[in-house]
Amino acid sequence: MSLIYRLASRNLLHDRLRFIATVIGIVFSILLVTVQLGLYLGFGRIVTTMIDHASADLWIMPPGTKCFEDPSTLDERTRFQALSINGVAQAAPVVIGYAEWRIAAGGTFPVFIVGSDLREGGLLPWNLVEGSLEALAIPGAVAVDRSYFDRLGVEGIGANAEIRGQKVEVRAVTSGIRSFTTTPYVFTTLDRARAFTGTAANKATYFLVRVAPGADVESVRHRLMANLSDVDVLTAAEFRDRSRSFWLFGTGAGFALFAGALLGMIVGTVIVAQTLYSSTKDHINEFATLRAIGSSGIYIHKVIICQALISAVIGFCLAAGIGLLVVAATADTALPIVMTPALTLVLLFLTLVMCVISAVAAILQVMRIDPVMVFTR
Amino acid sequence: MTEPVIEIVDVVKWLGKGAAQVQALKGVSLALKGGELTLLMGPSGSGKTTLLSILGCMLTPTHGTVRMRGRSTEGAGPEALAKLRREHVGFVFQSYHLFPTLTASDNVRLALDVRGENSARAVGKASDALAMVGLAHKRDAFPLELSGGEQQRVAIARAIVGQPSAVLADEPTAALDGENGNAIMALLAEIAKDSSRGVLVVAHDARILRFADRVVHIEDGCIVGDRRGDAALENDQSDCAISS
Repeated sequence: MSLIYRLASRNLLHDRLRFIATVIGIVFSILLVTVQLGLYLGFGRIVTTMIDHASADLWIMPPGTKCFEDPSTLDERTRFQALSINGVAQAAPVVIGYAEWRIAAGGTFPVFIVGSDLREGGLLPWNLVEGSLEALAIPGAVAVDRSYFDRLGVEGIGANAEIRGQKVEVRAVTSGIRSFTTTPYVFTTLDRARAFTGTAANKATYFLVRVAPGADVESVRHRLMANLSDVDVLTAAEFRDRSRSFWLFGTGAGFALFAGALLGMIVGTVIVAQTLYSSTKDHINEFATLRAIGSSGIYIHKVIICQALISAVIGFCLAAGIGLLVVAATADTALPIVMTPALTLVLLFLTLVMCVISAVAAILQVMRIDPVMVFTR
Repeated sequence: MTEPVIEIVDVVKWLGKGAAQVQALKGVSLALKGGELTLLMGPSGSGKTTLLSILGCMLTPTHGTVRMRGRSTEGAGPEALAKLRREHVGFVFQSYHLFPTLTASDNVRLALDVRGENSARAVGKASDALAMVGLAHKRDAFPLELSGGEQQRVAIARAIVGQPSAVLADEPTAALDGENGNAIMALLAEIAKDSSRGVLVVAHDARILRFADRVVHIEDGCIVGDRRGDAALENDQSDCAISS
C-alpha cells in the first residue's frame, strides 16, 4: 500500500479535535444539502400525486393550465369530440376546485374537491383504509384522508359536515393522500363535485383519455390536438413536468431549495478548506521534507487530496445515516424528504467534489514550499 | 580517475532582493567524488548551507554549472530538480525531519514511495536499510519512541535506502552527544566506502575531522581550503574557485 493514505490519515488524526470538528462540519453541510435536495424531490413528487394516480394516457385541459390545481374548465362538448376521435377509448371527466368544509361543531376549513365518475374512473381515491369506493355513490358521500381528521373535525366513517350548504358524510377513508398546500383533498362523485365547487353541469376541469388497446398514444394525441380547439393535450409525463415546473420554479420554491443546497455546499467547502489549510500549515515541515527528499508536487497533492477524501467519506457516511433518520421522521408529513439511491450517489459525488475543491487552498500553500527550509528548522 | 557524482563549477549565488541582497557564493567550484567522505566546514554565514542546497539541487545557482553524474542541471525546473534529488541524493538533516506519525520503517520507505516504489520489495529494502544502521529491531517504533541518535540513524537509513549517488548531511551530529555523534559519523564513513557514492557532511565540530577523507573550508562564500588524506587535518588558505 502506498504511504500516501497512511500519511494522509495520520495527518488528519494527529489533531483529533480538529478532525472531529471537520467531520461535524461536513456532516451538517451534507445534511443541509440532503434536506434541501430531499425536499426538492419530495416536493416534486407530492405536487404530482394526483397525476401519478390518475388512470390516463392523455390529459385534455384548458389551454395554459399550469398545474393540477388550476381550476379552469372545459365544455362537455370537448369530451364528445374527443370520444369521436379514432383511438380514444375513454374520456373521463374530472372536476376539481376549492370549497369550504363546514364542521358540524362549528367553524370552516378550506378543502380541495376532486370529483370523478365512479363508473368511468379517472381520478378516484386510492389507499382506502375504511369504507369503499362504491359507498361514494350514496348521496352526500365523500372520501377524506385520515391524516386530516382533526382539521376537518371528523372521527371516521359516518362523520358529517357541510360543503356549500349541502350535507356530506364521510363514507370512505384514505391513508397517505396528503396535499402539500395543507388543504385536504375531498374525493366525491362528479356531480357532487360540480355542486360543491359551483361548476356548471356541462363543465369539467379535465378529460382523462384512455387510448384504445393497440392505439399509439402519440398518434392519438396528434389527432386530438388537430381536432380540438382551445385545449392542451398532454401525456401524463408532460403534465407532471409542467406541474413540477410551475410549483418548483414558477413559485420560486425550487430556487429556494437549490439556494439552500448551494449554501450548504459553500459552508462545507469553507469548513473543510479551513481545516485542510491549517492542517497543511501544521505539517509544513513534513511537506518541505517530502519536497526535499525529492517528492513530486503531485505526490504531495495526492496526500492533501487523500486527506480531503478521507474526511469526505467519513463525513458522508455519518451524514447519510442521520439523513436516513430525517427521511424516516418526515415520511408521514405533508412534505416528506425523499432519499433515493440516485440522490445518495449525487450527494456522495457532491461531498467528494466539495472536499477536493477544499484542498485547493492547501495545495496552493504547499506549492509555495521551499525545500531549503528544512535546513533552517 | 572516477567521475564526480556531483560537480559544481564557478557557482555564484545571490540571495534576497533589493538592498537586502547578499552574495552567498562567489564563484565556487567543487567536485564530490564517490568513495569519499567530505567535510564541509566554515563559520556561520559562510555559505555552507547555500552550497549544500545547490549540490543537493534544492537551489539553482545564479551563475555557474551544476552537474549531477556528469549531466548539467541547467534549465531544470522545480519538478526536474525534485526528480534529480529523489534519484541521486539522500539527505540527512540536523533535526532529523522524520515524520512523527510514521514508524521508523515507514519513514525509511517514504524515500522509496516518492519514487513510486511501493511494493513488498520496498518494505524489504527499508528493513535492510534499518538493519544496516543497526535498527532492525526498532522498525515499528515511532520517532518519539527513539533516542536522538536512533532518530538520526533512521534518517540515514532513509537517505541511503534509494541507493543515491550522494549523501548530503547537514550537521548530522549537532544535536547529539559525543558518543552518538561519533557513532553517526562512523556510520557515514562506512557508507562513504562505497565507491559509487559520495558523502558530504557539513560540520562545525572539529572532533569529527578524523572521519573525513577530505576537508573543505568555506568562508564568506569562497572555498578557502581543500585537503585530502592526512593533510585534511591541516588548515589552509586558498582563493575562491578551488576545484579538485
